[in-house]
Amino acid sequence: MKIRQLLKQYDGKTVVDGVSFEIPKGKVLSLIGPNGAGKSTVMGMISRLVARDAGLVEFEGKDIKDWKSHQLSQRLAILTQSNHIQMKLTVRELVAFGRFPYTRGRNTPEDEQIIQQAIDYMELGPFQDRFIDELSGGQRQRAYIAMVIAQDTDYVLLDEPTNNLDIYHATNMMKIARRLCDELGKTVIMVLHEINYAAFYSDYICAFKDGKVAKFGTVEEVMTKETLSEIYRVDFEIQMVEGKPLSIYY
Amino acid sequence: MAPWLSRHRSTLVLAVLLVVLSIYSLFVGVIDLDTSAILAGDFEAIELLLISRLPRLLAIVCTGVGMSVAGLIMQQLCMNKFVSPTTGATISSAQLGILLALVFWPSATLWQRTILAFVFAILGTWVFVWFIQRIQFKDVVMVPLVGIMFGNVVGGITSFLAFRFDMTQSLSSWLVGHFSMVLRGRYEIVWLTLPLVVLAFVFANHFNIVGMGRDFSKNLGVPYNLVLFLGLTIAAMITASVVVVVGAISYIGLIVPNLVSMFKGDKIRGTLVDTALFGALFVLVCDLIGRLVIHPYELPIELIIGIIGSVLFVGLLLYRLNHGRKAIRLGAAGASSCAVSAQSAVQKKEGE
Amino acid sequence: MAAHTAQRANHRKLLVLGILVLLAAAAYLLVGVNVSNEKLFWYAMRLRAPKLLVMLVTAFAIGGASIVFQSIIQNTIVTPCLLGMNSLYTLIHTAVVFVAGSGSILAVNANLSFAVDLVLMGVAAMVIYGYLFHKTRHNVLYVLLIGTVLTSFFGSIQNTLTRVMDPNEYDALLSTLVASFSNVNAEILLLAVMLLAGIVVVFRKDLALLNVITLGRNQAINLGVDYDRCIRRLLLAVTLSIAVATAMVGPVSFMGLIIANLSRQLLRTYRHSQLILGAALFGMFTLVGGQMVVEHLFHYAVPVSVFITVGGGIYFLYLLLTNRRV
Repeated sequence: MKIRQLLKQYDGKTVVDGVSFEIPKGKVLSLIGPNGAGKSTVMGMISRLVARDAGLVEFEGKDIKDWKSHQLSQRLAILTQSNHIQMKLTVRELVAFGRFPYTRGRNTPEDEQIIQQAIDYMELGPFQDRFIDELSGGQRQRAYIAMVIAQDTDYVLLDEPTNNLDIYHATNMMKIARRLCDELGKTVIMVLHEINYAAFYSDYICAFKDGKVAKFGTVEEVMTKETLSEIYRVDFEIQMVEGKPLSIYY
Repeated sequence: MAPWLSRHRSTLVLAVLLVVLSIYSLFVGVIDLDTSAILAGDFEAIELLLISRLPRLLAIVCTGVGMSVAGLIMQQLCMNKFVSPTTGATISSAQLGILLALVFWPSATLWQRTILAFVFAILGTWVFVWFIQRIQFKDVVMVPLVGIMFGNVVGGITSFLAFRFDMTQSLSSWLVGHFSMVLRGRYEIVWLTLPLVVLAFVFANHFNIVGMGRDFSKNLGVPYNLVLFLGLTIAAMITASVVVVVGAISYIGLIVPNLVSMFKGDKIRGTLVDTALFGALFVLVCDLIGRLVIHPYELPIELIIGIIGSVLFVGLLLYRLNHGRKAIRLGAAGASSCAVSAQSAVQKKEGE
Repeated sequence: MAAHTAQRANHRKLLVLGILVLLAAAAYLLVGVNVSNEKLFWYAMRLRAPKLLVMLVTAFAIGGASIVFQSIIQNTIVTPCLLGMNSLYTLIHTAVVFVAGSGSILAVNANLSFAVDLVLMGVAAMVIYGYLFHKTRHNVLYVLLIGTVLTSFFGSIQNTLTRVMDPNEYDALLSTLVASFSNVNAEILLLAVMLLAGIVVVFRKDLALLNVITLGRNQAINLGVDYDRCIRRLLLAVTLSIAVATAMVGPVSFMGLIIANLSRQLLRTYRHSQLILGAALFGMFTLVGGQMVVEHLFHYAVPVSVFITVGGGIYFLYLLLTNRRV
């Protein structure tokens, strides 16, 4: 998946300015950067949720725009942060929607099996008949991930998956993202606010600043004192924990 | 002298325009009236002026001033730019009061009817505000929507009673506001708006503070509930005295304060006079249009305001959406409408 | 499994509702009718049957439109009538008579006039609401607020037209305009049924997507739905359904709100086929029952729409107070 010269303007203000990078297949990539750096907008354009003003998002040799939407939805899944639904929907029914791109709502026993696997994978068995709006934030997030698993795509895009979660659930969320890549062989792309989560759980990091790519590379390449200080404009210390470079700032 | 002039330029322009148009309006009507006849002491001409034209002009001015100030007070108190006598159930409650008087108290004089309209307008407004204070709104726009629904319910009860007691005919004259029945001896209640507007001016700073929220006003030593209810009562009484005489006039209370505050900001003392003048001007222009379009007949002013006012309001909304918060300054979006936290009030202050 | 028992329970609830509707319909047809005299019996049937049919069709149109509309904009305390569609229809009808004159074929032939109104309504609604959705960047709440303003805008223009109109023309207009449940416009019944059936067939694919649409724009696109196009088509379907209902019985503002929410509360599901069916059945029961009360208890003194406004309004306020967050 290649991103070329993406451009996005809101009311004459350029929020994404000539962003280009390539998404490494089968790896975890995190997009980081200060508020307003354009990372979420880039994610939106990659996932076709946000219309772009210029540039190209090439997926398997074809621009995202030229894909049939339902075919693309069998290859690429996006989970955004705001997911409040008013419907009375149980966890199982939500996860079942993951099969929609394949079945248009008429699920076969095989689909039911995939759905059950997704529920089990996210350990949602005990909750599967509960209504979504009765769950806690962490459980709800896991239900949505289960839906994405049932959608069975090669690429999974997560927009700030740890948002509004406490430390326990946020860390769990990151472990799940890692497992999606390691165990299920998916390419995971995340927008993250917490730098150390990005450093610890991803393979590559793309750091944004002022609508541009400030640095793209492996975790080790990006997690340096100089790069981080320049992007975030505060002083950083880097410390190795379990072989990963973690940052300290205060 | 110069800074005083520039600060009050808008007020002066509005006042001059109002005076000019007022004089012009005296000479618009089915019967031609000319100055020479009046100056010559033509008894009929003077009588026409005193019995019909002048009362009509005064009623128009009182209506415009009253409704726009009532709207301004309600918007300030509720910290929501979309609250007004129309979107706050005040008008429909006043109508219910009038109908109840007609049904259960047929011998009531105009004054007794007015008192009932007052009582219901005040109660209706209080209930509405109590109601919206109990609900958390995700978006400020929900408040007027709820208000319109609320008004529909009250209106529904009114029309139920009207149907039940065969009063639909007499009700209709209070549903669509018009000035054609304004004659000497039948409209003077509308003068009540003037002392109420003066009262509003006296308490303007209090309303401003209460609009900032319960905690904020407590901090400044202003009794929140008392001032809130006082303000709402003034607004409701102004509205009711207009409804009793000319019927429902919507939108003025919604549009005029918003248009004025786009230019003058939200400090109530600074905008009150301009709002009042602009309101009077707006109603006068609409009335003139209604009188001239199908001359010698006339269209009720409510229809003209319904058309012009709604177009203006939609324009205002779209402008606000596309030009950020400048167009209609809202209190903390998403906060419960009448109880904005002190924090957002402080932020607002910093923004000024 | 729990989901399946819930499904079965819902089927049972819908069945009970259906039976209630049948009972109400039978009662409406038969109460106070002289069954022994065949001539009188058929006379009563000829009067009541079209009215009953109109009510059933209207309930379906309003119930379906309300559920679809609520799901599109993801808010359960609104109805399409808030958008001013009722008054747009009334305005268009008045304008057609105004321009064409009351003697023209457009005003005399009910079916033709209905068809012309519908086409104009579809076009006008698509232009106006399409523009609004575009201008507000799909901010539904703003569209709603503007819609309520448009209600009075259309109403004022319509009222102005009737005042400018020749009094004879106005009389002719009045007879077709003040459709109510006591004075239904049964002439267009056949056309209305065909139209609603047509809407269901033409938009069936979009209706099938409703379950996914309720997950929100992002999720719907993620699952491969052409969201904007689907919403546009569904809105057109809603507009036409409301136009059909208004043409037959006149404006009823709160009706959709009550029956849609009753259906949602009773069935507690996301499946729109069930929700729409439930809302339609509730609507039929409310209308037929309400009309019976009006005819036999109040002797036509109070129109049923007034009851619906008051009852629906109070139910709405109750919903607000119990939800606390809207």
